[in-house]
Amino acid sequence: MTKYQLYRLLKRTESLKDERHPMFERNKFMKFLAWFMIAYYAAIMIFLGVMLGMGLKGNYSAAYHRLDGGFFYLLIIDFWARFAMQETPAQKVREYALLPIRRSFLMKTYLVRAMMSWGNTFWAFFLVPFGLVSVVPVMGWWALVGWLLGYWLLFVANSLGYLFTRALCMRHMLWFLAPLALHAALVCVCVVPDHNVLRVPFVLFMQGFATWNPLSFITVFAVIAFGFLANYRLQMGMLHDEVGKKEDVNMKSVTQFTLLDRYGMMGEYLKLELKLRMRNKQVRTQFFVGLGLIVFFSLMSYFTEAYDAGFMKSFICLYNYMVLGMMTLTTIMCYEGNYFDGLMSRRDSIYDLLRAKFYFNSMLLIFPFVFLMPLMFIGKISVWMNLGYMLFTIGVLYPCMFQLAVYNKNTLPLNVKLANSNSGTMMQSIISIVALFLPVAIERLSVLLLGPVWGYIPLIMLGLIGLATHRVWLRNIYHRLMLRRYENMEGFRASRNS
Amino acid sequence: MDIRIENLRKTFGEKVAVDVEQYEVKSGELLGLVGNNGAGKSTLFRLILDLIKADTGSVHMTGVYDGQSTDIDVSQTEAWKDWTGAFIDESFLIDYLTPDEYFHFVARISGLNEEQLQEELKKYEHFMAGEVSGQKKLIRNLSAGNKQKTGIVAAMLLRPQVLILDEPFNFLDPSSQSVIKHLLTKYNQETGATILISSHNLNHTVDICPRIALLENGHIIRDIANHNGEAQQELETYFDVQ
Repeated sequence: MTKYQLYRLLKRTESLKDERHPMFERNKFMKFLAWFMIAYYAAIMIFLGVMLGMGLKGNYSAAYHRLDGGFFYLLIIDFWARFAMQETPAQKVREYALLPIRRSFLMKTYLVRAMMSWGNTFWAFFLVPFGLVSVVPVMGWWALVGWLLGYWLLFVANSLGYLFTRALCMRHMLWFLAPLALHAALVCVCVVPDHNVLRVPFVLFMQGFATWNPLSFITVFAVIAFGFLANYRLQMGMLHDEVGKKEDVNMKSVTQFTLLDRYGMMGEYLKLELKLRMRNKQVRTQFFVGLGLIVFFSLMSYFTEAYDAGFMKSFICLYNYMVLGMMTLTTIMCYEGNYFDGLMSRRDSIYDLLRAKFYFNSMLLIFPFVFLMPLMFIGKISVWMNLGYMLFTIGVLYPCMFQLAVYNKNTLPLNVKLANSNSGTMMQSIISIVALFLPVAIERLSVLLLGPVWGYIPLIMLGLIGLATHRVWLRNIYHRLMLRRYENMEGFRASRNS
Repeated sequence: MDIRIENLRKTFGEKVAVDVEQYEVKSGELLGLVGNNGAGKSTLFRLILDLIKADTGSVHMTGVYDGQSTDIDVSQTEAWKDWTGAFIDESFLIDYLTPDEYFHFVARISGLNEEQLQEELKKYEHFMAGEVSGQKKLIRNLSAGNKQKTGIVAAMLLRPQVLILDEPFNFLDPSSQSVIKHLLTKYNQETGATILISSHNLNHTVDICPRIALLENGHIIRDIANHNGEAQQELETYFDVQ
């Protein structure tokens, strides 16, 4: 088989993998939604392209000069948006690593595919109409082609930068601070001084593409070549580590959490929740990212005035309470899918597990409560708001999110560093959005009607009712889950290892 | 505890995975289930354990538990889980626990205290051969054989009246295979439990099972009495073993 044939075969296998994913195959609505969202965002981009192409000119000689002067803003947006959508080659190559195909060929193939991905051309929905309106009238069609090609090459280079960062983040989450610092520095250089020193060089650089100046093209090709080689070396190293399982399988010490023994059977399930988070890379990372966000938003609220407006203050306070739950409860039971048959062979174990999950997640709210306390001391948020959102999260939002236990049937890998991204279901997305905005709407309305103190009483009361009746609604969820058990077990089995 | 199967049928698309009109396993029997790949052994076990939905029919467990006579359809109640232990595959194991933690978890959620647990575990020390209990390794990092041992021990830990093991000899070294044969026979004699095992190993099955059911395309085509190893010849002829 020639290398080209092999490349085609791998491409076909990847397409089949997506098409035949057990969850995607069954959910026609998700397929429709995916295409609808692409069309929706494309329409927005086209609209923005036309409007900005006509209106962005300002004091500049042409609108595209203004865009070129700040082209890195597009690259920054593009870079961070990729975290939600793009997998790294190492994630894809892992599945083929033990086949008799050279890993170097596999890695190069997937790097090339990442560079040639249609995702890198998505900005064309914005840039083509923008260029048609602003570049063509000034410089002609040939310049438009060069200008668009230049932007596409920049997005390809950006994708390599993203892949490199993502791979580093798998080694340690804190690596995401590197691009964050770089982007923050770039923005500061452009925004803070009176005169933006980078604007002219950027405009000249982008003008080079429109005029087919070899220097601009050579520069970006050099960046791409460097990015390709850097990625190749890093990702191959990671693949070797993953396949070779270099990590020590013996634990230095086995933490027993004996403190929880006093709670009997419930203590055992609580221990299980703790160990789930501490011993599985995927779940642990999710947990610490959630904690990091709580700290970040609390510090931002404390030291800056960015979130001092009424709505934002409420939103940030609620978000701090919601974030851990949103990260773990939207996928409730998905990790348990790995050992769901075992749980189902023991009486009432799912009900007890659900109870433990409720207690555990409620106890976790001590973190946002503590981090929001300084904001109470300096008077940025009231005690009532803090207490109101905490109880509302426990007694109203958690019951909403726990409903997903009935419907989730997609097993998520527990400990794979190079796991596939979790695309989520429609139900998960709807519940997350409702959970984020409904309470703020209730609070705003309530405060408007009852004032800044009494306005939180309804939140507190609703929360307390939910807390007091938790056994009732958890039992209801358990009964409904048991009615759907065959469908869920089939889903968990089908998606285990897929 | 008796297990009674009535008109049980399960299909996957066009393929008939299980189709058993009437079959009964009496309390205290040790039944071996044999058949080629895809014959329906694991599917039958999953149906008995209510892990998949039958297209038609039912599985009943009948007998005396806690001094009370009972007759239940496994798909209608969870009561049978109190007296049933099973190990089918790795989806029964919580792989981020150590074997000891897993045993502890299973024991505690089933009402066994630490002392009772240690007493039970002593019975399986020889089987575990010092490689399962007392290890600082998570289950996911154990060898396939030791995972198998962990699952089998956990299934037997609560002294169930019904024990279901799918391919219990798989992944085990020869001496462990011998030990598990001995353990199962002894357990059956001591407790009078109903034991169902499936296996591709004809010798082991014939050695320990006084009754053997032969499955083909989801149907039990032969129900063989095997009190003195007389099933060996019949099975070897069926499987065309030279």
